[in-house]
Amino acid sequence: MNGHFDEEMMGRVADGEEPDNAHVRECARCANGVVEALRLKRAVRDAVPRVEVPESLRRRVTRSPQRNATPWWLAAAAMLVIAVTIGANGVAMRRDATRELVDLHSTIVGSANPIDVLSTDRHTVKPWFEGRVPFAVDVPDLNGTPFRLTGGRVVFWRGQPGAYLLLTKGAHRVSLFIFRDEVAPRVGTFDSMRVVSWRANGLAYVAVGDLPREELESLRSAFAPR
Amino acid sequence: MGDGTGAPSFEELALPLLAALYNYALWLTKNQAESEDLVQETYVKGMRGFGSFAEGTNFRAWMYRILRNTFLTSRSGLRAAPHLSIEDDRELVEELSGDSAPDRSIIARVDASALRRVIDDLPLPFREVLLLSDVEEMSYREIAEALSIPVGTVTSRLMRARRKVREAVQR
Repeated sequence: MNGHFDEEMMGRVADGEEPDNAHVRECARCANGVVEALRLKRAVRDAVPRVEVPESLRRRVTRSPQRNATPWWLAAAAMLVIAVTIGANGVAMRRDATRELVDLHSTIVGSANPIDVLSTDRHTVKPWFEGRVPFAVDVPDLNGTPFRLTGGRVVFWRGQPGAYLLLTKGAHRVSLFIFRDEVAPRVGTFDSMRVVSWRANGLAYVAVGDLPREELESLRSAFAPR
Repeated sequence: MGDGTGAPSFEELALPLLAALYNYALWLTKNQAESEDLVQETYVKGMRGFGSFAEGTNFRAWMYRILRNTFLTSRSGLRAAPHLSIEDDRELVEELSGDSAPDRSIIARVDASALRRVIDDLPLPFREVLLLSDVEEMSYREIAEALSIPVGTVTSRLMRARRKVREAVQR
């Protein structure tokens, strides 16, 4: 290159906009000019402190960015679409959850070793879960009910640990899944298998078996909060 | 989360820009409450228009452009708008261009608060290109996209802004 960089070119080099800047390695005057331009860039950056985003704004943007300045009819239409979508998704998710838990039930009861703690004594099964699941498992006295405790194990549903109790009623085997309430599945029904769920004491219970719904429902009172 | 197609969602792209957009809004409005409203409205518009955003183009520049256009149609933006077509303002261009050759090394000795005042006093078209370049480290092309101006205008505004800064701090 003949001649020196002009002021604009020094700025472009300092801004990284000129890939061909070999001239500054040969010319002390232009190199000094670029260094000065870089010094100004840094001074500007240092003089303008970054302001933290107020928490109020962060909430406004992350929670309901569509709320402000939206015509009511558009908001209403959007809400309708959202409600229908959520409803459809919710039904689909419930169906998926039910299928997954019924499959889990079938896998466990069909296994040669369905349970890890084999005991009909609730005082043996209850403490076995300590340290294995992130909540206390209350195994009630099932005397007076048609169900008998066979044992338990730990299960994982969608990455979350849960307690599993295997119960029997005659020749029928019933799975009772217990999860923390916040990770619990919202279940429905699935073909020939009955699935019943309820919530108590911050936990969610899901009973799966091939018994009539009323009989599974009777487990609810046995595992109800006291 | 994405939409299942692998393409990032609006939230995934836009939320990391929150601090930068808020700072840009503060530079434009110099008012916290107004900046918060401006940023929120930008996100509302961005979310609504995200379907028309062409994947592969510069999302950051697109969000800046939405924010700036929203500002220009706001009350304080309308007040600032007459000063935005500075290329047509011969007197101001001459004032900012000047023939003097300031002592450049003075930049190293000026304190940050004085420099901050000089930057604050720059006309908006110069202030925003300077800050987008030096603070946000945007390329000229990105600034051009964000401000809807030619790259050549970005270059000339930057040069004038820096010249003005140098002149002001040596006074």
